[in-house]
This record gives sequence, C-alpha cells and structure tokens, in this order.
Amino acid sequence: MSTGEPTLDLTSVFDALNVGIIILDRQSRVVIWNDWIAHVARKTSASVRGTKFFDIFPELQATRLPLVIEEAFEIGSSSVLTHSLNKLLPLRDETEREVLHNVIVRPLAFGAVQHCLLQVDDVTLAVTRERVLRERQNARYHAIVDSAPDAIITVNLDLSIQWLNATAAHVLGYAPAELMGRTIDVILENKNDLTASFLDALHSSGQGGNALPIVGRRKDGALIPFEMSVARWKADDRTFMTTIWRDVTERMLAEKALRDSEALLRRTNSELETRVEERTREREAALAQLYESQKLETIGQLTGGVAHDFNNLLSVILGSLSLLKKRLPPDPRATRLIDGAIQGAERGATLTKRLLAFARRQELKLEAIELQSLIPDMVDFLRQSVGPGVEIAVDIADDVAPIMIDANQLELALMNLAVNARDAMPQGGLLTIAGRNATTDRSKLPINIPRGEYVRLTVADTGDGMDEATRAKAMEPFFTTKGIGKGTGLGLSMVHGLTAQSGGAMDIASEVGKGTVITLWLPRATEADVMRSLPMAEAVVETTPRPALRILLVDDDVLVSMNTANMLIDLGHDVLEAHSGVHALRMLESEGAFDAVITDYAMPGMNGLELATKITTGHPQMLVILATGYAELPTESSFAFPRLSKPYTQEQLAEALKRGTELN
Amino acid sequence: MSVEVVELTPIERDAFAEIANMGVARAATSLRQMLGEQVLLSVPAVHIVTREVAAELVERDNSSKLVAVQQSFEGPFSGRALLIFPEAQSLELVRSIVGADQSLEDVIDLEQEALAETGNVILNACLATIANVLRKSMRMSLPTIIRGDGATLFAQPLGGGNLVLFLYIDFTIKSRGMRGFIALLMDLPSIAALKEIVQDFIEKVER
Repeated sequence: MSTGEPTLDLTSVFDALNVGIIILDRQSRVVIWNDWIAHVARKTSASVRGTKFFDIFPELQATRLPLVIEEAFEIGSSSVLTHSLNKLLPLRDETEREVLHNVIVRPLAFGAVQHCLLQVDDVTLAVTRERVLRERQNARYHAIVDSAPDAIITVNLDLSIQWLNATAAHVLGYAPAELMGRTIDVILENKNDLTASFLDALHSSGQGGNALPIVGRRKDGALIPFEMSVARWKADDRTFMTTIWRDVTERMLAEKALRDSEALLRRTNSELETRVEERTREREAALAQLYESQKLETIGQLTGGVAHDFNNLLSVILGSLSLLKKRLPPDPRATRLIDGAIQGAERGATLTKRLLAFARRQELKLEAIELQSLIPDMVDFLRQSVGPGVEIAVDIADDVAPIMIDANQLELALMNLAVNARDAMPQGGLLTIAGRNATTDRSKLPINIPRGEYVRLTVADTGDGMDEATRAKAMEPFFTTKGIGKGTGLGLSMVHGLTAQSGGAMDIASEVGKGTVITLWLPRATEADVMRSLPMAEAVVETTPRPALRILLVDDDVLVSMNTANMLIDLGHDVLEAHSGVHALRMLESEGAFDAVITDYAMPGMNGLELATKITTGHPQMLVILATGYAELPTESSFAFPRLSKPYTQEQLAEALKRGTELN
Repeated sequence: MSVEVVELTPIERDAFAEIANMGVARAATSLRQMLGEQVLLSVPAVHIVTREVAAELVERDNSSKLVAVQQSFEGPFSGRALLIFPEAQSLELVRSIVGADQSLEDVIDLEQEALAETGNVILNACLATIANVLRKSMRMSLPTIIRGDGATLFAQPLGGGNLVLFLYIDFTIKSRGMRGFIALLMDLPSIAALKEIVQDFIEKVER
C-alpha cells in the first residue's frame, strides 16, 4: 500500500476499540490481537501473532470454544459464550482483578479466505453494578423489613416458612434458622384460621382483605393474639404468601382495661345512686321524725297550757271542797256527795298531771336510780296490774349503770306500758322488761338524742302488734286503739314526755301478729348525781301543833288565791293576799313582819322565783314557798326554795309550811 | 391444526422432522455439556402454519407471557429461528443450567445472558445441522431476547411472508417438566426454496 491517499489501517482501528478483538485464521492461528486484549491478557500482539490460539490458552480446549469456532468456520454460525456458563480467558485488569467477560464468536469472510472473530466483552462493570444495586436495594429492603415492629413471615403454598424477619423470630421466641422450612402451624394455635385466610387471598386479587385475628404460639407454648394480613405474590411459577403479624396483646389489654374501667364506672355510678337513694331515704326518715317530734312538741305546748289552767281550777275546787267538808255538820249523805266531788276533782288532777307529763312540764325529781333494784321491787305490783294471764320476765344486766330519772314517774311509765302490753295480749303472753347499757354507736341510737352514754330499757310483749300507721301515731296524746272509755290515750304520751324531759328518747318497734317492743333510752347518771342522791336522814315529822303564822300569799289568780287563803286560815294562820310581785314587796314593807311568803310561780311581770329572790335579799330569814303547776323553774334554782306542787290539798299545804319553818 | 397453505408432502414432512431431530440431538449434546446432566429433546411435529396459528399454538397450555431467544439466518433460505418458552420457566431453566448452588438473586442477574447463550446453543445446533445435512452454508446472527405474547414474537415483518415453519420441541430437563418450542419463520420464497432443497435431499438419499 503506497502513495498519496492515506489508507485506513484496520489494525489501528482495532487497537482503538475498547473491546477485545482476536481474529483467527482457518488453522486457529492468531491474525489480529488488539491492544485491549494484549493489555488484559498480559500478552503482546507480537508475542502471540501466528501462534495457535489453543497453544496460548491450552486450558480453553476443554470449553465449548473449539466447537463454536469450528462451527463458525464450517456452518457460519455465531455463538455467545457468557461468563455465567463458561470458564473463559484468564484476563486481569491493572489491579489484578479478574475481568468478567463474554466471548462472541462470529465467522468472517474476507473474500475466499475464512477467518473467525472472537470479540471479548468486559462485563465486569455491568455485573458489579447489578450486584451493587441489588445489595443497595436489599439493604433498603432489610432495613425496612427487619426493623418493622410486626412479624413478617413468607411461606409457600405448602405453608412451609421460606423467610422471616428478625421481629418474627424474636416475638415467637425462636432463632430465625429454627423456623426456616418448618410449616407455619408450629407457630399457630389453630392452623385452620390461617388456611381459610390463605384460600381467600388466593382467590382474591392477591391482597388478603381484612386483618385476620389469629393466635400465635410461642416456642415456650405461650399464646399471643395477633392480627394477620396476607399478601400473595408470585415469582415465576412459584406462589408465595407473605404474612404480617401484628401483636395486639397491648391493645387487647388496653381494651380490657377500658372495659373494666367502664364496668367499674357503671358499678360506681349505681353504687352512688344507691347511696344517694339511701341518704335520701335516711333524710326523709329524719325529716319525718323531726316533723313527728315537732308535732308532739306543739301538741305538748298546747296541752301544757290547757292543763295548767285546769290545774289551777282544780286546785280551787279541791281546796274549797276539802274546806267545805270540814265545816259541814256530820251528815253521811252530804259527806258522800262531797267525797264524790273531791274524787272527781282528784281524777281531773291526775289527768292534768299526765297531760303535763306529756308536755314535759311536770315536776320531776331527778335522782340516780338503779334499775337492778327498782324493777324487781315493782314486779309484784305490775303482776297485779296485768293479771294472771301475762307472764312477766325481768332481764336487767348486772352491769347496767344507774340512770338519772324521777323514780315515781318511771314506775308510772312502766305501769302504763305494762297495761298497754296486757291489753295487746287478751289471750295472755309474755311481758319482758330488759335493761342494758346502750352502745354509744350513733347508728344504733334514735337520731333525736345526742350522742352519749345511755341505758336501754325495753318492754316487749308478744301481743297483737301495731301496723305502721298506728305505730306512727301511738305517742300522740288522746290517740288510743282501746274502746271508748277504756283508755285515755295519754299512756304512751306520758312515757314519751318523761323520757324526753329526762334527756332520753323513746322508740317503738312493732310487727302485726308478733308483738311490740318499746325501747326507752335513758341517760346514765354521773358520779356526782349518784353522790347527791344518797338517801339523807329523813327529817322527823313533828306532830306537835305549830303556832299560827303570819303569811303573805301571792297569786295573780284571785280564785286560786282565795282558795289557798281559806285553807291557810282554816289551819289557823293569819293571811294577807297580794296579786303581783310588786304588790307583795310593797306589802312586805308596809304591813309589818311576816313569817312566811307563799307565791305562785307563773305570774305576769315579776314571776314567783324573781319575787322570792328579791324577798330573800331584803329578808334573808324569810321562808318563801314556791307553788308551781309544772316544771317551769330553771334547774339551778330547783333546790333554792321549798316547793309546793299544784294542785295541792290542805294537808300538802300544811306539810310544806311545816317543813319550811323547821328548816328555817 | 392444519391451516397449511404450502403443503408439505408426508415424505417431506418426515424428512424435515428427521433433519430437525438430528439438529435437536446435537443441541441436546451441547446442553448436556453445559448442564452436566441428561437432557432429552424431541421433535414430535413439523407444520407450516400462519403466524396467527403459530401464536395460538405457543400460547396454548401456557400463559401469554413468553420469552424467546431469536437468531436470524441468511443463506439459500432466510428467516428467523426462535426458541420459545413460558417466561415463568426461564429462571428455572437458567437455574438448572448454572447450578443449584447459585442463589436466586444471582440467577436473576445471570438470567438474560445465560438465556441468550442457552438459546444460542440450541438454535445454532439446529440450524447448523440443517445446513450441514442439506450441504448449504448459512450465516447466523447473534442471539437476542424477546419477551411478549405469541403475536409479539411473530409480529416482526419478514418480507411480507405470513407463514411459519413450526417445529414443536419438547424439552425435558431432569425432573423439571419444562417444555419449549422451536419455530423457524420464513417467507414464502424461503419455504419454497427449503422445500426444493429437502426434495433434492430426499432424491439423493433415495438414489
């Protein structure tokens, strides 16, 4: 090749290619060996040209290369030999790393001369790139899947585990390798649930619809609730199921806690309602009781006022009758009439006394009383009152404390209760009188008395009992279930008044057909009360007639005053009358010396006690007797002056004067 | 199955089947070398059909997702040779060739190349045998890979011809029941030329 026009030098073209080029002739001798192949094969073109290819690389005799080169020459076929299926040329780059390559073998026809082209392609980069990409993708994938809080398990169609993430192994208590290849039922409580879900997933589009509640079984046998979703996917011909298990233990616990607290709330609510209802009932009961006691109080005041007036009138009648009886000549017929009148008046007086007792206005002589001796002493008397049909049992505990009460009134009260009990047991029965120290527990005390130490005295019968309506009204005065003319309706009223006035309370429990229990809560006596009540030496009653006294009689009621004056005159005394406190003081100054003053308590303006106090200030030695119809005196002055209980007879009047003068 | 426009006489068909069998036998030898295990290939039928029928045939009993290795050839008769099988089986095929010790991911990486080489071996063997037997020389291109349904595989225009010489090859590799097809696409003149050549071959053999 010569002259002007430059010829294209194919060798330099081959050397410029970034691919390996080897060209062999029909005898497999190297014709072309470009720079690229020289470089990676570490053999120069000069050193191999003309050499048989398989002499350069004897190991390649065992590969498909000889065959495909032969075919290229013989048939004209082109072949590809890849690094993936073949061990090819020993090629290395500058860093001595293996160069991955494919070899393409093609026939070349330069006119009649036959050649074969071996093109060596470097695929290292592509392979590496794929690997790097895959690893990168896998890293991303593993980062997501392995750090997922849910267990992820992939199984194939025969349900054997193909793959699982770290969470799955951890949650189920296995090492990952332990579960690979085992069927999924080893980690399930019930395999059937899952199978159904898988079938669903298979028939659906591949996404297993809703999360399925399943129960997983840990390696240690513990059962854990999960919610599982299933996704189906295919790789070539193979179908896989990827299951995602969400541990719902916490949620179920939370739901349970919620349910529990709701239930608790409901329970608390209903308890609250019950308590409110209870309180409401208690309050209504308390209000009813308050209403009852207010009603009794009102009736008491009314009754007390009426009784007081009647008492005065009865005093007059009694006084006049007894004086008249003395004056009349001894005529048995007249005497009988007067006695009848006196008896009637005395019964009237008894009645007013009971009314006053109910109104808590009776004169009480409070003293320390021991039930242990008082009750047995009066049993005989009670027995006579109730008759032979009723048996009486007494049960007073030895340790029952002394109580502070008027003994006579208590006896009267017990008598009333006994008579009521008898009337409730017309066929006979058992009457039980019991005494116990009462507990101070508030809940066991009737609510209308203050907290404190009490003695509980009960009178129980086995009689007819009362219905609730009757029981509620039983303490009202003039309420009676007995026939007309048989009862006054004042028995329980009197008992109620006595206990209340004594600082206690009364309670009635009754059941129709079973009987009635009356409970008296009576205040205990203090040590001081006991000391004060010790019996003192009775003053010897002198029978010797007393000298006549000059007496100032003070009463705003002219009728009463006149009656008392008559009785005093009859006794031989000298009487001057005053009709008010002021009047009396004036007379004491103007009418000369008096031996005694008898004054009514209840007077308009200055009352009897104020008058008495004033008199004793000026005349310390003066005998002042207070006449009272009911317990209207302040307690601290109870013992300051001798007392005369209205209505009084001439004998009582004389006795009071005698005692007074003796004390003075 | 016979919508054959260009009829092959029974004797032509037998002859061509025989030639194909020889080619496939050679391919099997090459595959056996590659796999290191027994590969059985057989050619049960040879037909000339339209592209449409061919497309139907390769999709029958398979999904419509197919993969094919294609090589074109030039010589007394020209056309394309295709090795066709269901796409789902391609990984299995590669795996069985590159060996079980490779991970699935590696197999995926190698799939394209390995598939091309495997197809190349089989198609070369077939075409080379045909050329050899018929004593004609051909030039064959490098393999390329096509994915798609039957219509896609046979869609490429080829000199206006609409006929396909269809070789039906059963693969049986190890216990994996893999089945594939080999198809030769030729235009009418090529088929006519092939018929003539086969006719000559038969006469020589009979003589």
